[in-house]
Amino acid sequence: MALQEICGLSDAPYMKSRTHFLKSTEEEMKNSTSNIENCYSLSAPPFENPMQNLNAIQQHGEKSGIKIDFDHGTTTLGFKYQGGVLLAVDSRATGGQFIGSQSMKKIVEINDYMLGTLAGGAADCVYWDRVLTQECRLHELRNKERISVAAASKIMANIAHEFKGMGLSMGMMLAGYDKRGPGLYYVDNDAQRTPGNVFSVGSGSIYAFGVLDSGYRWDLTDEEAQELGRRAIYHATFRDAYSGGIVRVYQVTKDGWINISNTDCMELHYKYAEEKK
Amino acid sequence: MSILAYNGGCVVAMRGKDCVAIATDHRFGVQAQTIDTDFEKVHQVAPKMFLGLVGLQTDILTVRERLAFRKKLYEIRENREMTPKVFSSMLSNFLYERRFGPYFIEPVIAGLDPKTSEPFICNMDLIGCPNVPDDFVVAGTCGEQLYGMCETLWKPDLEPDQLFEVISQSMINAFDRDAISGWGASVYIIEKDKITVKKLKTRMD
Amino acid sequence: MFQQMNIQQNFPEYNIPGKQHHDFSPYESNGGSIVAIAGKGYAIIAADTRLSSGYSIHTRKQKKTFKLTDTTVLGSTGCWCDTLSLTSLLAYRMQSYVHTHQKTMSTNAIAQLISVMMYNKRFFPYYVSNVLAGLDEEGNGVVYSYDPIGHCEKTTYRAGGTAGALLQPVLDNQIGYKNQNLAEKPEITKEKAISIATDTFISASERDIYTGDSVVICIITKDGIEEKTVQLRKD
Repeated sequence: MALQEICGLSDAPYMKSRTHFLKSTEEEMKNSTSNIENCYSLSAPPFENPMQNLNAIQQHGEKSGIKIDFDHGTTTLGFKYQGGVLLAVDSRATGGQFIGSQSMKKIVEINDYMLGTLAGGAADCVYWDRVLTQECRLHELRNKERISVAAASKIMANIAHEFKGMGLSMGMMLAGYDKRGPGLYYVDNDAQRTPGNVFSVGSGSIYAFGVLDSGYRWDLTDEEAQELGRRAIYHATFRDAYSGGIVRVYQVTKDGWINISNTDCMELHYKYAEEKK
Repeated sequence: MSILAYNGGCVVAMRGKDCVAIATDHRFGVQAQTIDTDFEKVHQVAPKMFLGLVGLQTDILTVRERLAFRKKLYEIRENREMTPKVFSSMLSNFLYERRFGPYFIEPVIAGLDPKTSEPFICNMDLIGCPNVPDDFVVAGTCGEQLYGMCETLWKPDLEPDQLFEVISQSMINAFDRDAISGWGASVYIIEKDKITVKKLKTRMD
Repeated sequence: MFQQMNIQQNFPEYNIPGKQHHDFSPYESNGGSIVAIAGKGYAIIAADTRLSSGYSIHTRKQKKTFKLTDTTVLGSTGCWCDTLSLTSLLAYRMQSYVHTHQKTMSTNAIAQLISVMMYNKRFFPYYVSNVLAGLDEEGNGVVYSYDPIGHCEKTTYRAGGTAGALLQPVLDNQIGYKNQNLAEKPEITKEKAISIATDTFISASERDIYTGDSVVICIITKDGIEEKTVQLRKD
């Protein structure tokens, strides 16, 4: 009988009772959508080392014209200052060179006191932010208090660590306000997690940093901070092909987050051009 | 990424009633980075003829210079102006000389015949296979988007001002869906007695 | 006659014929395009009926829209086997939702379900281009579009599939009134939306070899789903 086990004969669907057959079909169906029951359980690929092999398939697709272009999100920035935390993001999603969307929401509202920004693979970020939202809510229900930004970012870093080397693409900032005051963390797909005062993530971040660093002070007023964030993102959208659309500015204070403005880049460009004259 | 999409950019040309139009974007970039937003890819090669080149910037400049040289030589030797048709044959031959090590460009020619004023538009692949349709030609990184736009908006026998509307709407909406084209646009309308150049106000992201 | 070299495919003449390639290529592109437009009180979704592989046509009569509920229709193209596997799984999941919750799924619930199911195959994605159209709780149209690993975005109009890049700027211009500098933007009526969708498909079939034969337009209103077929180029 041992040989039968090794050959996997016992798993074959023939010579089985109908009930067993039905059960296995159901099992299979459940397995194929396993992450609905357990969001961490993604189906395994039929090849080893997905980071390398999925890339190889994608590269082969480049030749055959079968391209799997994932939507990629881009310039985001966040900084702490005397008034709390400020986040500013663009809204362009590109699949390859093609602009898939000009109105993507790259700031995820995790709860009333916490925001997450997304850069990298859009699906990766949105999916895991949704999982994080669930975990944060559960934490609240279990502990009768809101989760701290540090703890939330740790959950995210743990997720990233679980899937490290599998080819996820995420670069996110978590911003919020908890009993320790304003919090700002950077977490990425290598499971790197670090607190800080000034961050910018994405392909346009180099341009955003240029503006941000030259104008950043701790004692910025709210208006100055908002304008600095907006301007930094605008300059990134101008120079970086993969950033653009709408500049969204959010602010987190001790009373929770507020959406300050959503301005079209075209409007901003001609406004700033006018000011230069 | 294809070498033809290294610098980005696009050109489109259309035929109208006794006129032609050619439009270009203004971007010169290196992959994702935008270097210049004042780089026009359309050049006037004769009083009533324009040449648009997209692709690798270094090859655009080389091809433009070499073509100008050959065209001048022709004009001196033959003592007559070059027609767009002759120019396109010359360009085709010129590109095929480099069949196995091509210039990474896609040319578009638009013009009126200097004598008959017959509209002429033409595009080629990078080794010089000519295509002379009676509607429109496109080239560049947002070629697909341009085809979609032109196919919907273009109609036969458009008057110059209608043609301007059609070509500018086609161009702007097409490159608004392409990450590496845009940052301003110019439209050239070539009529029998005048040439109009218009700059368009576009998104700059 | 002439065939212009397809520069997108990176100089195929340098490929040595007969050379053994060991690339793993589990996907196939079976072509097809989708357009979906949503408005007040309606949503329409149109897909062509050509199913092809390379230069050969498998069938001219393959509908690519899937009725999920009385108010929701999914359009799916790309690798047809992935489409079939995704839609059958979806049918199973929706059925089990009905039995668990004693009600049919709303459009936004389906949208989220599809996103999660597609992300399940994050490391070996479905090669599909999905567009979901339907009515929301208030009876107004909504469109959801997806990337291959389940990033979902809610919009009012969207083109997908092989001619997606051709059609999307046309929709931006005609439905979104982009770059038109109009003082007021008139609402798109159902009739207008149907005529724009038809026109875009006629244009797409001129230039995209994977799109053609005929287009099936599903018109979703609170009274049900009406289906219309318009013939396209067959070459």
